[in-house]
Amino acid sequence: MSFLILAVPVVAALLMITTRIIGRMHSISITASGTMLVSAIPITRDILAFGKIESSFMGGILYLDALSVIVLDIVLLIGFLACIYSVGYLNREIILGAFDFKRVRFYYALMFSFMFTMLLALSVKNVGIMWIAIEATTLASAFLVGFNNDRYALEAAWKYIIICSVGIALAMLGVIFLNLSAMATLSSSAQLDWTALMDNAGSLKTSSVRLAFIFILVGFGTKAGLAPMHTWLPDAHSQAPAPISALLSGVLLNSAMYGIIRITAVTNRNMGSSEFTGNLLVLLGMLSILTASVFILTQKDYKRLLAYSSIEHMGIIAVAIGFFTPASIFGGLFHMINHSLTKSMLFFCSGTILQKYGTKQITKIKGAIKLLPYTGTAFLLGLFAIAGTPPFSIFSSEFSIMSAIFNEGDYIIGSVLILLLAFVFAGIAIALFRIFYGTSGTETPRPGEINMPGTIAALILLLMIGTMGLLMPGQLEELISNAQNIIYGS
Amino acid sequence: MSDIFDTLSVLILMTAFVLMANKKVKAYIKTFRVQSALIALSAGILGVGAIVDEGRYDLMVVCVLIVILKVIYIPGLLHKTYAGIEYRTEKDFILNIPILVLMSCSLVVFTYFSLSASGSINEGGIDPQLVNTISVTMIGLLFMITRKKAIGQIIGFLEVENGIFITAMFSTQGMPFIVDMGIFIDMLTAVMIMGVLVFKINITFESINTDRLNKLKG
Repeated sequence: MSFLILAVPVVAALLMITTRIIGRMHSISITASGTMLVSAIPITRDILAFGKIESSFMGGILYLDALSVIVLDIVLLIGFLACIYSVGYLNREIILGAFDFKRVRFYYALMFSFMFTMLLALSVKNVGIMWIAIEATTLASAFLVGFNNDRYALEAAWKYIIICSVGIALAMLGVIFLNLSAMATLSSSAQLDWTALMDNAGSLKTSSVRLAFIFILVGFGTKAGLAPMHTWLPDAHSQAPAPISALLSGVLLNSAMYGIIRITAVTNRNMGSSEFTGNLLVLLGMLSILTASVFILTQKDYKRLLAYSSIEHMGIIAVAIGFFTPASIFGGLFHMINHSLTKSMLFFCSGTILQKYGTKQITKIKGAIKLLPYTGTAFLLGLFAIAGTPPFSIFSSEFSIMSAIFNEGDYIIGSVLILLLAFVFAGIAIALFRIFYGTSGTETPRPGEINMPGTIAALILLLMIGTMGLLMPGQLEELISNAQNIIYGS
Repeated sequence: MSDIFDTLSVLILMTAFVLMANKKVKAYIKTFRVQSALIALSAGILGVGAIVDEGRYDLMVVCVLIVILKVIYIPGLLHKTYAGIEYRTEKDFILNIPILVLMSCSLVVFTYFSLSASGSINEGGIDPQLVNTISVTMIGLLFMITRKKAIGQIIGFLEVENGIFITAMFSTQGMPFIVDMGIFIDMLTAVMIMGVLVFKINITFESINTDRLNKLKG
C-alpha cells in the first residue's frame, strides 16, 4: 500500500497534460505534492516500528528502510515546498510575459516526472533499477535546466546531460562488476539486491567488488557533484529556474549520495575494513571542499555561489561516510538533511531576488533587506547557516562530524577540513557584505515582496533549521540511528 | 562457442577503431549501425542458446529490440537530426586521426593491464572478451572528448553505452530482463532529448560546435 505514493506524481503529470487552465495546474501540483507529504507520515512511522517495508509487487522489487526513508522524506518535503514556491514564481514569470500556459504545463509535467524518478530510485532494492531511475532523473530534469532557452541555459543543459549521462554510464559498468562478484554465490534474481548483497557481503568476490565500488563512486559521484566530476553542477544549478535549483541541490544530490552510501556499506562489509573506500571517499570529499572553497572566495554570481557551496557540503558528507565510524555516519546523514533544508531555502530566496532585481551579480543586489524584508532576512540568515554558524543545524552536524574525525585520531585531515571550512566561511562572509552592506543604488525596483507563497515556504524551512540546530526531535534521532545501523551493521 | 564470442568481441572492437578514424558525421552513423548490428548478432546467438538450454526468451527479445532501436530507429533519428541542421564542412576533431587511433590502441593496452592487475576477476587468465568490450567503452569516451560537434558527442555516448551493454551481456549472460528494458528506455529518451537540444543549440548558436558553449565559467 505504501508504495502507491509512487503513483501520485505519475497521475499528477498526466493530469497536467489534460488541462489548459493555469490555476488548475497550480492546484493539481499542490494537492499531489501535499498528498505525498502526508502519506510519508505513516510510511515513516511504519519504518520506525518495523524497520522496513517490502512489497510483493513485480517480484518484490520495492523496498524501503530507514536509510532510504530519510532521503525519501527530504524529497517529499522539499518537493512540496518547491510546488508552493512555484505558484508564486510562475505567476510572476507569467506577468513578466516569459511563460504561457503551455510552458507552465511543460514545467509541471517535467517537475513531477523528475520527482517520480527520484522516488523510484529510493524505493527499489535492485541496484540495476536504481541505476535506471538515477539516469532517468537526468533525462527528466535536462529540459528543466534549459528551461529559459537562452544561450546560457542551453549550454548548461547540454553539459548537464552529456556529463551526467557519461558518468552514470560508468556507474553501469560498476553495477555489472557487482553482478559479476555475486554470480557464484547468489541466485540470479538476488544478484543485484541491496539486501541480499549486504547479507552475503562476505562471500562476494573482492576484486570485482572493488572495481564496482570505483566505477559506482565515479558514476554516482558525478551525479552527486563530487570534484573533479562536478563541472556540470554550477552551470545547471545557476541556470535552472529557482524551484528546480532547489530540487537539484536539495534532493537530487542526496539521491546520488544515497547510492554511494549503499555501495560503500557493501564494499566495507565485504573487505572487512573501511580503509579502501575511506581513502577514496575522503580524497574526493576533500578535493570537493577545496575546489568549492576556491571558487566561493572569488565568486561574483550568487546562484553559482550557492551551487559551489553544494559541492562543498557533498564533500563534507563524503568525508563523513569515508571515516565510517558510527558517529561520523550519524553526522553525515544529519548533515545531508540539514544541507537539503538550508540550501533549498537559499535557492528559493535567490529566485525571488533574481526576479526582483533581474541580475545574478552579487554586487548589484544591494539593499536586499530593505526591498524584500522577509526574503532578504531569510537569505541573510540562510547564508550564515550554510557557512556553519550556530545556532543553525548545519553547525551541529558539522560539529558532530568534526568531533567524530578527531575522536578517530585523524588530526591532519580534521585540521585541514576546519581550515577549508574557514575559507568557505570567509568567502560567504565577503559575499554577504557585498549584498547587505550599503544602501541600494539609484535605479532599484520598488520595495515589497513579490512571491508571498514562496516566502512562506522559505520561512518554514528557516524555522526548521533554526529549531533543529537547538533541539533534535527524538524520532528523527531514532530514524538516523536506525539508518546508521543499516550502514554500519549493528 | 567461446570462439565465436571472442571473434565477435574483436569485430566490435574493430568498429570502435573504424569509428575513431571516420571523418564525416554520415560515416559515424553508418559505423554505429554496423557496431549495433554486431551486438544484435551476439545477443541473437546467446538468445538461441538460452532458448535451447533453458527455455528463456528474454535475450531474444533484447536482440530484436537492439535491431529495431539501435540498428534502425536511432541511426534514422540521427540522420534526420543531422539533415535538419545547417551543414557546413568543418573539421570536427581536435587531434588528427592517426594520433587518435594510436591513442585508442594504447587504451586497449591500458585496459588489458588494469584488468590483469586487479587479479582474480577471471581466475587463471584474463577474459579477452572483457578486455575488448571495456576497451570499446574507453574508446567511446575518447571519441566524445575529441569531437567538437554536438552530434559526434551523441555518437560517442551511444558507443560508450554499446560497450557497456555488450560487457554486461558477455560477462553476466544478460542482466535481469527488467534492467535491460529500463536501459533501453533510458537510452532512447536520452538520444531524443539530446537530438532536441542539438536543434536548439543550432538555432541559438548558429552552429553545433560545442566550442561555442563557453559562456559559463568560474
